[in-house]
Amino acid sequence: MPTSQPTPFRKVVIGLNGGPTDTLVVKLACELARPSKAELVGVHVVEVDWTHDLSEDVASANEAASAVLDMAEGEAERDGCRLETSLLQARDVGAALVDEAAAVGADLVIVGLPYRKKFGGDFAIGRTVPYVLQNAPCAVLVVREPIASQVARGREPGVAVGAGLGASDRL
Amino acid sequence: MTGGRRPLKGRKPGDERIRVERRHAPYFRYTGRGVLTAKPAAITPPTGAGRIWSRAKAILVGRPLATEEEIEERLSKKKALAIFSSDAISSSAYATEEILRVLVAAGAAALFVSLEVAVAIAILLAVVSTSYRQIGHAYPGGGGAYAVARANLGRAAALVAAAALLVDYIMTVAVSTSSAVEQIVSAVPQLHPEAVLIGVSAVGLITLGNLRGLRESGNIFAVPTYLFVGSALLMVGIGVYRVLVLHEGGTAFAPAPGSPGILESVGVLVLLKAFSAGSVALTGTEAIANGVQAFKKPEPRNAAATLTAMAILLAVLFVGITFVADSFAIVPLDDPSTGKVKETVVAQVAALIYGRDSVGFYLFQTFTALILFLAANTSFNAFPRLAAILSQDGFMPRHFGFRGDRLAFTLGILLLGGISAALLAFFGGETHLLIPLYSVGVFISFTISQAGMVRHWLGERTRGWRHRLALNAIGAVLTGVVAVVVTVFKAPESLLVVVIIPILVGLMLFIERQYAQQARELEVRADAVIGPPHRRERVVIPVQAMNRAVVQAVNFGRTISKDVLVVHVTDDVAAAETLRERFERQMPGVPMVIVESPYRSLIRPFVTYLDVTTTDPELVTIVVLPEYVARHWWDRVLYNQVTNSLKRALLGRPNTVVTTVPYRRESETEHHAPAGPAPGDEGGAAGEHPG
Repeated sequence: MPTSQPTPFRKVVIGLNGGPTDTLVVKLACELARPSKAELVGVHVVEVDWTHDLSEDVASANEAASAVLDMAEGEAERDGCRLETSLLQARDVGAALVDEAAAVGADLVIVGLPYRKKFGGDFAIGRTVPYVLQNAPCAVLVVREPIASQVARGREPGVAVGAGLGASDRL
Repeated sequence: MTGGRRPLKGRKPGDERIRVERRHAPYFRYTGRGVLTAKPAAITPPTGAGRIWSRAKAILVGRPLATEEEIEERLSKKKALAIFSSDAISSSAYATEEILRVLVAAGAAALFVSLEVAVAIAILLAVVSTSYRQIGHAYPGGGGAYAVARANLGRAAALVAAAALLVDYIMTVAVSTSSAVEQIVSAVPQLHPEAVLIGVSAVGLITLGNLRGLRESGNIFAVPTYLFVGSALLMVGIGVYRVLVLHEGGTAFAPAPGSPGILESVGVLVLLKAFSAGSVALTGTEAIANGVQAFKKPEPRNAAATLTAMAILLAVLFVGITFVADSFAIVPLDDPSTGKVKETVVAQVAALIYGRDSVGFYLFQTFTALILFLAANTSFNAFPRLAAILSQDGFMPRHFGFRGDRLAFTLGILLLGGISAALLAFFGGETHLLIPLYSVGVFISFTISQAGMVRHWLGERTRGWRHRLALNAIGAVLTGVVAVVVTVFKAPESLLVVVIIPILVGLMLFIERQYAQQARELEVRADAVIGPPHRRERVVIPVQAMNRAVVQAVNFGRTISKDVLVVHVTDDVAAAETLRERFERQMPGVPMVIVESPYRSLIRPFVTYLDVTTTDPELVTIVVLPEYVARHWWDRVLYNQVTNSLKRALLGRPNTVVTTVPYRRESETEHHAPAGPAPGDEGGAAGEHPG
């Protein structure tokens, strides 16, 4: 069976949500980017609800939003990588992330998935990750937040590989 | 931290996102709630000249390092022995010579006691190192004489120890470097005339290296110590073998049969003088106890083992070199024409054992010079650190506690380099001239730290405290006696140190008093709740002309207070009236007072005017000075001379705040000028002639 070397990534967009997965996502991105010296772009989207006009200044004075990107930039620096940052405000996080990945010509999107449960105990995947998986113009990696009970048992944080539109099979 | 926003269309209809500019991002990074950390771009100078200087500095001392880039490395015993012992072990390169110099001066008959003197010093070394082992156990955080004295003996003793240590570190650099240069010129006599230049250059290089943040933990620093120890042990071994087995030499300085005993033939004074000269061998013994925290775990035990190994090596080398020199009748060799050292004793021993002009001889001389330079380098670590601790405790200016671009205590390094280079130049690079200044400070700090440990055990009374107390007490008494002996027998040069130490202590107490007074003045009680200000404020603006800078300053003044007054000091009342008429027309509501100064002085009449118009002692006077910002560094001298004089004159005036409102030339294009002539039309630019 012929085996081919996976094409190295050139540009990786990292979706940052300010949660505990950010560190994992950045670390993973640095690990993937290092061999091919790929460019890393950290994106944080501030969602603007319909009570405000989209053009209203919501994010620029938002210290917490900036801090998400700055912390990720610092994390990448400690891992020996350079991370460009982009702060966006949009109606929908998933759409903004996918559009940004398309705009910068990314060949990989990495997003974090918070481990939340619905009422009743079922795992809630939310709407951002499915949207990105469905619409991203490139490969997508999803990093799930470690489950507390598994971490307590000494297990590593789980990393799920999702199939987006594009050559995700090379993963 | 607000920025611009750029709308971007998405791939699907209705999808829109807005990219938000983060203006702080190139310069700062949020690292916590309300915490911004500066990035390298934030410390880049804004001007071209500043950037050139910054680049030149980066080439010379390296790029600035962030605090988090500091590496903390724990040392193994082998590495620590090499790094901490270079100062102590390297003293074996000149200690024998110091003994022989005293004995030679006393006459050839005195030379045969050199070995006995060396053995006595080795016994003293055993006592001191055993005492320091205990300090390592009791103070695993670093038991420098200052720390031990501060904890047990109080401020005065701690400051004496600190002053003695500071002198000791300076002398270590000067003595080690001069001795290293002497080893070089002993091997290459052609370099003799350049000895001082080589020494000063070496200190300059070591200073530069330390400003770059040279780390002592690198292997490069461990190698010279082991090379020296290896080659010196081999040399001593061959020498002892030739004397004891091959029966070479051996009777060179032996007393004639039937001659009187040592004391009768040599005299107690000469013996004590030789002992005090040779005691320089003990310098650096304290280094390991000072740096216990740098060892791998268990720190105290590893430090104690390393200290013992160091003491044994030093004793073997020192006594061994003295024995070989004594057996082969080697005495210090000076150049009769210059009176300077022609060939050191250790170089003569090396020439005898390895063969003159042999590879072994040159290698040994190189290793000796290297370990001596390394010993000098150890002080560049210790001196700035002690100065920083003293500055934290308020005994030295706070600048000593600031770390430079490369995480090194810049001021301490520069001061140490400067003083030791000056000493080298002043004493012509002659080690034996510098030595009398050396060991006095060392023994004073030894004594204080041992005495501090006696108090420590009396307070602690832990298991085995009596035994430990006895050991430290013996150490204190012995080193105290040696301190007195060294001071007396190295007089008058040693007295210089005895004078310097109290001066330094006085200076440190003076600095502490000043800082304490300032702290008292600035103190805000922790339980106090500060309400809004309720004191009346008035703004006074000295002006000389009507121009944009003045308009800017007056408008700024109006934002602070409603009570704004413009004061024009002049010797031309007619011109002043014209200015007032125009001022009142163009800036209505701002009164102008004309102060006529027939003696043409501008500063004093203005200050006196403020004094006489301040009727309410609670009134705060805010003096707003219009200032013109020069475009280049070289045209700064043309402007703001009167402004600067006014600032100086108002400095310290009670209830007065002085603020300058800078006017930049670029502003001309940014906003419309108020009606009237451009700056300079009426008596020059604002700020140049404000009052």
